[in-house]
Amino acid sequence: MSITTAPIPHDDMAEAEVKRLARKQSAFATWVAVVFGVILVLIFAFFVFTGFDTSFLFSVCTSSGGQVCEAGVGPNGVIQVGSLSITWSGWLFFIMAGIPMTLFISVLSILLAVFLALLGALGRLSKNPLLFGPATFYISLFRGVPLLVQIFIWYLALPQIKIPGLFPDGVIIPPVPAGVLALGACYGAYMTETFRAGIQSIRKGQTEAALALGMSNRQVLMRVILPQALRVVIPPIGNEFITMTKDSSLVSTMSVWELLYRASKIGRQYFRSFETLIIAALFYWIMTIILQFLQSKLEARMARGDR
Amino acid sequence: MAEPIVRVRNLHKCFGRLHVLRDISFEVFPREVVCIIGRSGSGKSTFLRCINFLEEPTAGEIEVAGNSVSAGTHGKERQEKIRQIRTSAGMVFQSFNLFPHMSVIENIIEGPVTVKGMGQAKAIEIGEKFLAHVGLMEKRDEYPARLSGGQQQRVAIARALTMEPAVMLFDEPTSALDPELIGEVLTVMKDLAREGTTMIVVTHEMGFAREVADRVVFMDGGAIVEDSPPEVMFTHPEHENTRQFLERILQGAEERHGKQTE
Repeated sequence: MSITTAPIPHDDMAEAEVKRLARKQSAFATWVAVVFGVILVLIFAFFVFTGFDTSFLFSVCTSSGGQVCEAGVGPNGVIQVGSLSITWSGWLFFIMAGIPMTLFISVLSILLAVFLALLGALGRLSKNPLLFGPATFYISLFRGVPLLVQIFIWYLALPQIKIPGLFPDGVIIPPVPAGVLALGACYGAYMTETFRAGIQSIRKGQTEAALALGMSNRQVLMRVILPQALRVVIPPIGNEFITMTKDSSLVSTMSVWELLYRASKIGRQYFRSFETLIIAALFYWIMTIILQFLQSKLEARMARGDR
Repeated sequence: MAEPIVRVRNLHKCFGRLHVLRDISFEVFPREVVCIIGRSGSGKSTFLRCINFLEEPTAGEIEVAGNSVSAGTHGKERQEKIRQIRTSAGMVFQSFNLFPHMSVIENIIEGPVTVKGMGQAKAIEIGEKFLAHVGLMEKRDEYPARLSGGQQQRVAIARALTMEPAVMLFDEPTSALDPELIGEVLTVMKDLAREGTTMIVVTHEMGFAREVADRVVFMDGGAIVEDSPPEVMFTHPEHENTRQFLERILQGAEERHGKQTE
C-alpha cells in the first residue's frame, strides 16, 4: 500500500474552518484539565477537613536538639520502624523508597509470566494431548484460585512439604522470590489466552508460504509466526504490566519492603494509616499514569511499524 | 520424451463429505507451461495445493522431481519427502504472503538460508539475481507493506525462484491485484515461460493462457474435462462444458472492456 497524504485545503474558507476546529479541540482539552484540577482540589480539601494531617508534606524535620516533629516523625528526624532507623526527612520519602522494590518485583514477574504464557499458548495450540492437557490444566488452576491464596501457598504452605534429599527442611522460598513466582505464574495463566490469540491472528497464508518454501513446523514457528505474534502481543503485555504493578501490593503480606508494606508499617506505628495509605495510593496512581503514557507511546510505535 | 517433473496419479480429495477432486491423473514435463482454467469451485486451486501437500490428498500418488508420496501413508521418511517436494516446487499465492516482518531481500533469502542451509552471502547473490530479474532491485531493503500489490507479487515470485525449484506453481497470481497492476506480473511470468521455466498456472487470465501455455487444462466438478493445446482449447474445444465456460468468460471480458471504453 502506498502512503498518500490528504489533500490540504487551499482556499481561505477551508483554512479558517480547520483553524476553528483546532481551537475548539484545544479549548476542550483545557477545560478537561481544569475540571481535573478542581476534582483534585476538592478531594484534598475534603481530606484535610476530615482530619488529614498535611504537616509532614511541608515541614522539614531537622536533627537539632531532640525536636519531635508533629507528623509522627521520630526524634532527630529519624523514623523508627522496629529495630530499623531511617534518616529521611519524612514519611513521604520513606514510603516512596518502596517504589523500586515494587517495580523490581513487577518486572521479574512479567518476564516470568511472558515465558509461561508463551509455553502455555503453544501447549493450547498443540494437537498433542500431552502438551494441550497440562497447558489447559495450568490455565484453569491458576486462573481459578485467588492471587492472594496463591501467594500464601507459595510462601506459607510449601515449607510444610519436605522432600528428602532435595528439601529436607521443607520447600522454603524467601518472600521476594515467592512473590515473583506467585505473580508470574498467575499472570502467565491469564496471558496465555492473549498469546494464543496473538499467534492465531497471524494469517494462514504466512504458514502456507513458509511451508511451501520447505520449512519444518518448528522453523515456521520460530522464523515466521512468533516474530509476528510477539509484535501483536506487546501492547497487551504492557497493559498486564500496569495491572501487575498494582497487584504487586499483595506481596506486602509477606513483609516485602515495597510501597504498601512501608505505608502500612509506619501508618500502624504512628496511628496515621489514613495519611500513609493515601500516600501509597497516590504513588500507585502516579506510577500507573506514567506507565500508561509510556504504553500509549509504545502502541503508537507498534501501529506505525512495518505491517 | 523426457521424464515428467510432476506426475499425479488417481488423485482424490475430500473435505468431509465434499468430494472436490475426482480421480485426477496428470503429468507435466520439463520446460512445459500448463495453465489450469475452470469455474471457481471446480477444484483447480485445491488440485494445485495438493501437488505440494498444502492440502493432504485423500487418495492417490504425487511425484515431484523424483520424490513420490502416496496419500494415507505416515512416518518420518514421508515427511522428509514432502519437504523435498516443497523445496523443488516454488509456490506463488493469490495473496502474495510475503513475510511482513522481513525486508524484501530477507524474504527472498529466507528459504535458501533456513531450509537449504545456504550461506547468507551466496543466498544474497542468487536472490539479487532474481530480484533484478523481476525488476525490483531498487526495492531491495524495503518492507512489503511499502510495496504495491504488483510489486509484492513480483517479490513473491523472486522468493520462490531463489529456491531454484524444478517447477513453479502459481495459484491465481493476479486475482488479488488491481487491474492496472496485473500486466507487470504477467510480463514477469511470460519472461519465465520464455526462458523455459516449468510452470503450472491456475488462472482466469485467458489471454495469458492462450499466449503462453503449451497445454491448457479445463477442470469442472473436480475432474479434468479437457487437456489440450491452447489453439485447440480456445478455438474448437471438444466438450460442451468447456465451450460454455469459455463463452461466458469471453463475454464477461468484452462487457468489462466495453465499460472501460465508454
